[in-house]
Amino acid sequence: MISFTYTLKDPMGLHVRPAGLLAKEVRKYKSKITITAKGQTVEAMRLIAVMRLGTKAGDTVVFSVEGEDEAAAAAALQSFLEGSGA
Amino acid sequence: MVAFVVVSHSAKLADGVIDLAKMSAPEVPMFPAGGLEDGSYGTSFEKISRAIEQASGSDGVIVLTDLGSAVMTTEMVLESLDLSNVRMAEGPIVEAAVTGTVLSASGAALDEIMEELEHL
Repeated sequence: MISFTYTLKDPMGLHVRPAGLLAKEVRKYKSKITITAKGQTVEAMRLIAVMRLGTKAGDTVVFSVEGEDEAAAAAALQSFLEGSGA
Repeated sequence: MVAFVVVSHSAKLADGVIDLAKMSAPEVPMFPAGGLEDGSYGTSFEKISRAIEQASGSDGVIVLTDLGSAVMTTEMVLESLDLSNVRMAEGPIVEAAVTGTVLSASGAALDEIMEELEHL
């Protein structure tokens, strides 16, 4: 299992666009990828659930990646997050 | 790529749902079928049929509906077209459109998306 934290920059947090793009990204990997915000944990690929977390800029979220391709998935996820401005 | 038809009593609502879904899945084919020919509120058999024909492709079509009679009109269309890979999804139209199109954009097949939409 690989976990890492990420502090959101987008004022609207994980709204429909970033949550949708995040879901597309995580679906490329076999690993189970969850996101925890404000004490709630949801699967990163369920974008409606991700949006319901009600995150905003400055919130720190925890990503957990577990599975056979967790190393590749975690690395890709981090660069996706940096690049997306989420 | 699985395509989508958004059926609504209102043309604005159908277009709006598609605009929202395009924010995270712009590459997915989406076709509106909102309101009646004269622009008033209602669901139009012809508009839905035309939209499904436009959407039809090898990967299949998912039709999303807003309220009651949109379901009935769509059912009549599906019976008349009798296409195997065209399905109607139940559930909240905005959540279904956003979730379904992201799944289609990431390569999910018709059945897999339909299964996922049942959890909304």
